[in-house]
Amino acid sequence: MTQETEAAAAVTTESESESAATPDPALKPRAGRFGPVAWLRWGWRQLTSMRTALVLLFLLALASIPGSVLPQEGIDPAAVTQYYAAHPTLAPILARLSGFDVFGAPWFAAIYLLLFTSLAGCVLPRAYRLARSAKQPPPKAPRHLGRLPRSSRFTVTGEPQAALDSAAVLLGRRRFRLRTGDGWIAAEKGYLHEIGNLLFHVALLGLLGSVALGGLFGYKANRLLIAGDSFANTPTALDVFHPGRLVSATALQPFSMTLKSFRATYITTGTERGQPASFNAAVSYSATYGGPTHDYNLQVNHPLNVDGVQVFLIGHGYAPVFKVTDGNGQVQFNQPVPFIPIESSGLTSAGVIKVPDARPEQLGFAGVFLPTEYVTSTGTLASAFPAPALPRVSLVTYAGNLGVDSGPSQSVYSLDTAHMHRLAVLPRPLAPGQSITLPHGLGKLTFTGYRQWASLAITYDPGQLPALISALTALAGLLMSFLVRRRRVFVRAVTQDGHTVVTLGGLTRSDAAGGFETEFAELTDEFMTKLGGVSAPVAAPAGQAGPGGNPGPGGNPGPGGSPGPGDSPGPGDGEEQERQDGLEQPDGLEQPDGQEAALVQSKGE
Amino acid sequence: MTRMPRFTRSSLVAPVSTVALLGAVVLAVTSCSGGPIADNNPASSGQNFVGASYNSRYFKPGSRPSAPAVIGTTLTGKRFRLASDRGDLVVMNFWGSWCAPCRAEAPALVALATHFSHDPVRFVGDDVRDYSAAAQGFESTYNVPYPSLNDPGSQVALAFHKSVPPSAIPSTLLIDRTGHVAGIVVGGITYDGLRALIDTVLAERS
Repeated sequence: MTQETEAAAAVTTESESESAATPDPALKPRAGRFGPVAWLRWGWRQLTSMRTALVLLFLLALASIPGSVLPQEGIDPAAVTQYYAAHPTLAPILARLSGFDVFGAPWFAAIYLLLFTSLAGCVLPRAYRLARSAKQPPPKAPRHLGRLPRSSRFTVTGEPQAALDSAAVLLGRRRFRLRTGDGWIAAEKGYLHEIGNLLFHVALLGLLGSVALGGLFGYKANRLLIAGDSFANTPTALDVFHPGRLVSATALQPFSMTLKSFRATYITTGTERGQPASFNAAVSYSATYGGPTHDYNLQVNHPLNVDGVQVFLIGHGYAPVFKVTDGNGQVQFNQPVPFIPIESSGLTSAGVIKVPDARPEQLGFAGVFLPTEYVTSTGTLASAFPAPALPRVSLVTYAGNLGVDSGPSQSVYSLDTAHMHRLAVLPRPLAPGQSITLPHGLGKLTFTGYRQWASLAITYDPGQLPALISALTALAGLLMSFLVRRRRVFVRAVTQDGHTVVTLGGLTRSDAAGGFETEFAELTDEFMTKLGGVSAPVAAPAGQAGPGGNPGPGGNPGPGGSPGPGDSPGPGDGEEQERQDGLEQPDGLEQPDGQEAALVQSKGE
Repeated sequence: MTRMPRFTRSSLVAPVSTVALLGAVVLAVTSCSGGPIADNNPASSGQNFVGASYNSRYFKPGSRPSAPAVIGTTLTGKRFRLASDRGDLVVMNFWGSWCAPCRAEAPALVALATHFSHDPVRFVGDDVRDYSAAAQGFESTYNVPYPSLNDPGSQVALAFHKSVPPSAIPSTLLIDRTGHVAGIVVGGITYDGLRALIDTVLAERS
């Protein structure tokens, strides 16, 4: 990338900086010293260089590692609490370094903001230069067309101007962009290459913008919903809520949803036995508060779209229903409790029941739900199949202080038994309808049945569609710039020894798709036919250095040629500059003239 | 939990390609924290409670969002209309019997309801994501003197979606006598904190 070389040039020491050929005049330090503006420019160039972007990209990947190694506050606060307990000295230090909120950490934000700036700073000026380049007329014809990668030479009858005129018509018919001068025509085609390049760069910016849009205004949430229950898309009704930086609670789409029923089917035979075959979550939803309700059948990879928000079915499980009567004979608990699967082949699930209002003592139960119970050879309980063929629960019973009355929030999926004592009740599998009677008159628990639950992912990403469009545009642009090559054809006609000698030169910059050789040959043939080319072409060996391609033996272009007699036949400074102008497009990724020619030649012959 | 069809871990093991890096950028920028939501552990509770952190906001008269019309059924089966309390200051507490900070703040709320019983202040609860037996247990444990809406589907919180949706359980909203939201406490209240807020709103004279 040119910027990098420029930047590298700018990094020279003060004494050298004078000689460093920086093309930007503003970068030239006054009296060999860097002023603040020069330093700023230098810094900007460094930041927007490809090298810096790559380093930042790598840093970003590196910086995300702690986010997957350490428990994160936003994902699993309970795990963070556990980490605190396990590492009492390390945890506060990590917390100060935002170790538990890596993706919200200032240093993380610094990296991605810098990366953003770097990419935008790189892509924007490039897009501007590409746009300018696409509008540029072809460069002047170089003097010695024979030195171009492709060239041909033939003589025609008629005046040079007439030959040039018909050449112009021919090239125009082939939709070349033309520029004419004294005794020459420069023609260029394949601007779609530049447009494709431009499109790619603009789309890249669009992609960055879309990602930012999604990150700022999008949100993700999770909700476990038991069949028969409802929820609303409001922060308090969501289990996990990750809002984008600029999402306010009032921006959430106000839909409500009820899980009417959940049905899972499983493969019952063969090696895949027990694998899920289908999931169907019948839901009814209302897009607005108090609005009309609609039904929908939610399936895996078949999300519901409400108002731009997508609701995905991402998991399921069982919620056994328990009824707990306390020592005073009061029913203090009668509800389904979601149990979380701990293995997938039989869907053995674990969960806890907390009855904080039981008297005389608070009660807690921890245990497993087995959809299809069986006893292994070692005597432990297991589930043979995920469907509820023989549903059983097995519970351990505790009484005492659940620790829920003193304030700190607790996970509803874990039981803090620090201030509880285990009751002497032998755990035995309960079938629906069966009960455990607690000792010491503490009450009774009945396993009354089970429901199923579905876990839903709610995502809103306003950047999704723009990102898709940008990505497709970028792809189209990339293809365009790969498939369309920009190529130039130059024609010169001079009178020499009473003949009109026509020289054709052709050049392409990136011939990835190939075919310029053929096109150039066709063009030569067509020219010779249409221009009444009498003599056979004197094919000048392509790329042959020096005067080999020159018309006259002395290398003198003769009187008809445009250059003045005083010009040296070799590559004059001005001419070389001109060729430079013509070949080295602002598109800094291209190779310089010589290498390009060599490449094309080795490909051609 | 049965894993729904997803990428297997092995298919994700790929060289650090540009794609992966770009993915990292996307992940990072969207600040969607590394772990996919499909991690599927709904256990990440605590997310919705604000523990000890005390956070209250007071809206000056004139810049108050208007409270929605809330209609519902109380835990004891009575009809409830928020508008019928117009003229009084309404203290609306969002709670659940399963929520530890709600249990911790309950005695203070009950004491405040008693303290303001001779003032034009009405307390009302909104019991979210709860079931009736457990909710009744909570009510009798703390001798809650005021009614609570039975709101398992969080419809009351949703009704506030255009004004001040509570962002955690517990949350406490103050609705002034003209039906505008005058303040909110997110997380557990303290006796002194909420009392000061109520006193401030009560002291306003239009």
